Amino acid sequence: MARFIIRSIISTIITMLLVSIALFFLIEVGSGDISVKILGVFATPEQRASYRAQLGLDAPAWQRYVDWLIGNDWRAERKVGYPLVTATNPQTGEQGWWADVDGQLTRWKMEEGQLLTLKRQDDGSSTAHLSSGGWEVNEEGQEVFWGVDTKNNAVQWMRGEGAEVWVLTKAGLRKEGDGPQVYIPLRKGLLRGDPGISLQFGRPVAVTLVPRIRNTLVLAGVAFTIIMPLALFLGILAGINEGKPLDRIISITSLGFTATPEFVTGIFLIIIFGIWLKVLPAVAIFTSPNAIFEDPTLLALPVLTLTAVELGYVARMTRASMVEVMDSPYIRTAIIKGMPKWRVVTKHAIRNALMAPITIIMLHVNWLIGGLVVVEVIFGYPGLGYYIYRSAIFGDYNAIEAAAMVTVAIAILTRLIGDLAYTLLNPRIRYA
Amino acid sequence: MAVQSMTTKRQPSRWEKFWNTASIVFESRVATVGMSIVLFWVLVAFISLFWTPYDPNASNFTQNLGPNTTNLLGTDHLGRDILSRLMQGTQVILLKTRLPGSDISIPGGVAIWGVLGSLSLGTLLGLNAGYRGGWWDQIIMQVLDALIAFPRIVLYLVVIAALGQGDLVVILAITITGAPGVARLVRSLALDIKTRDYIRAAETRGESVWYIMFREILPNARGPLLVDGMLRVGYAIFAIGTLGFLGIGLPPPDPDWGNMVNEARRNIFANQLAVIWPAVAIASLVIGLNLFADGLREELTRYQK
Repeated sequence: MARFIIRSIISTIITMLLVSIALFFLIEVGSGDISVKILGVFATPEQRASYRAQLGLDAPAWQRYVDWLIGNDWRAERKVGYPLVTATNPQTGEQGWWADVDGQLTRWKMEEGQLLTLKRQDDGSSTAHLSSGGWEVNEEGQEVFWGVDTKNNAVQWMRGEGAEVWVLTKAGLRKEGDGPQVYIPLRKGLLRGDPGISLQFGRPVAVTLVPRIRNTLVLAGVAFTIIMPLALFLGILAGINEGKPLDRIISITSLGFTATPEFVTGIFLIIIFGIWLKVLPAVAIFTSPNAIFEDPTLLALPVLTLTAVELGYVARMTRASMVEVMDSPYIRTAIIKGMPKWRVVTKHAIRNALMAPITIIMLHVNWLIGGLVVVEVIFGYPGLGYYIYRSAIFGDYNAIEAAAMVTVAIAILTRLIGDLAYTLLNPRIRYA
Repeated sequence: MAVQSMTTKRQPSRWEKFWNTASIVFESRVATVGMSIVLFWVLVAFISLFWTPYDPNASNFTQNLGPNTTNLLGTDHLGRDILSRLMQGTQVILLKTRLPGSDISIPGGVAIWGVLGSLSLGTLLGLNAGYRGGWWDQIIMQVLDALIAFPRIVLYLVVIAALGQGDLVVILAITITGAPGVARLVRSLALDIKTRDYIRAAETRGESVWYIMFREILPNARGPLLVDGMLRVGYAIFAIGTLGFLGIGLPPPDPDWGNMVNEARRNIFANQLAVIWPAVAIASLVIGLNLFADGLREELTRYQK
């Protein structure tokens, strides 16, 4: 038993690692030049190269994978020479990177050939001073300086070189002199809860992702609590009446609903309830972040769509398992010895019949996530699925990778829980 | 003597053998209904190769017309005839795959090639895992576990975000998402079949591993594989529809059902029928395939009990 659990956990970790490698390199190899999306098609090659360097895309792929997974502040620390720490910016509420120079949080800035030291005050603002020294001479005899700039990068400036960089501002690209030669965009890495900056929103992925995960969990949770009892009930009902008209009706209807794509079901529900009857909102427009709690009718159609699609599958599984159990000798014995049928069903059959569906439901979670993506797109529901969709269309690699890893983690963890639950419930495996 | 007795006892012809196997479909009402729906759409696809009422991509009519005598199913938001577009829409799914960068199409639709791809890849992996066992099994199943862990749509989105739109990309996406399921099925069949005596006999004869896997095991696993393949065509059409709906499926100019729903959806308040027709088309084809496969499986397993 203990061996089995340890084995499953190790296998899960290996799977997650494989998934992360596959995901990262698939997007890495496949996706085109992101600078085309952001800078537009008319940007010059120099502008593109400069922008890509600022995103850290000039580093080799394996290096970026490691950065993405476990962060790169430890790598940058060795270059800068001071511990790198994050501090909250009180205006945006987001984390910024600073170098901890003897207890004073510091950044640097190059202006007209002069290196300025920015010292962080307690209110989050900073004061500029002319910095003294710190320049080192490298092998080629150039004077270089490693520091943290104002855009959360660890950078290397070079005295006298005055590299020109293209900085993206709201008004477009601006050319700046005295730019750094090398950039390391600082990040803590996925495992430490920082999957990087979202390129389409310009904010950290973690900040934009969390409310969406919450919205999705609410949607999925409500749907799940409706689907499960109903599906199990219908499945058991069909299983007891195997071959009778009631079973036929339930089986064929659930097959029909399962086979109908989510978007077809969703569209039909919109047409019926949103357009013809005008009783439910056809799109989920969020006027405030807590809109689902203020106006639960927003959830009605998305939940109904998910229910229609998922209900059939679970019901069919339950039915199959129930039919099998009802065929078994011990049920026949119970019936022959004169036990009322409802007692046979409730006392003997259901417990054994539910074992298979419960594990299958756990395996089915990643199917549910697939359904969520489509349902959220249909109704414009601001959840995880819609986020993945938007990021994939934009090519926002940090966001897709983070969001996809969240879905994979959910799928794998539920599967692990399913496996463990099954082992606990089934004595034949438990004592094997 | 032996020759004479062979000739007097007539061997059933190929066609008769096929018919005997195929008539199992008519044993089940569900399978018959499913097959009729599927055959209807296949027929529509072949007709559309030679004739559609109007040019499916020409905006010849008033926009968003309801059904009338000229346009039996009405027109869409660009004034195109919906019936012609629906008919032509079957081609990319069932009959032709367009190669990028040229006007050449190869026969066999995206759904068909996608399923063939996942069947081949899955069979290859499953046979190796099941028959060879040991490290092969461990490594192959670990990789497949990782693939299965991806929610399907997320994998589609990632593949398409990475490789761009196109018929071949959709085929690849269907292949990758389908292969793990096929591999698991083939592996479990291979584990069962490899304990049989005829495999032992082949091993004793000194046949190569590949010969045993593909000439001894595979032919004996074809029944369940066939039913699984049928179900997968349904899933593939389901997936193509969903991708089209998300606006990242098969590229224009050929009409694609999912994309027709997606485009018409923007005018849903003005014209609901333009959304309903393609939606019903996808749903009916997928349901038909599911009924067919389901009925067939029921009939096939009935005698095994």
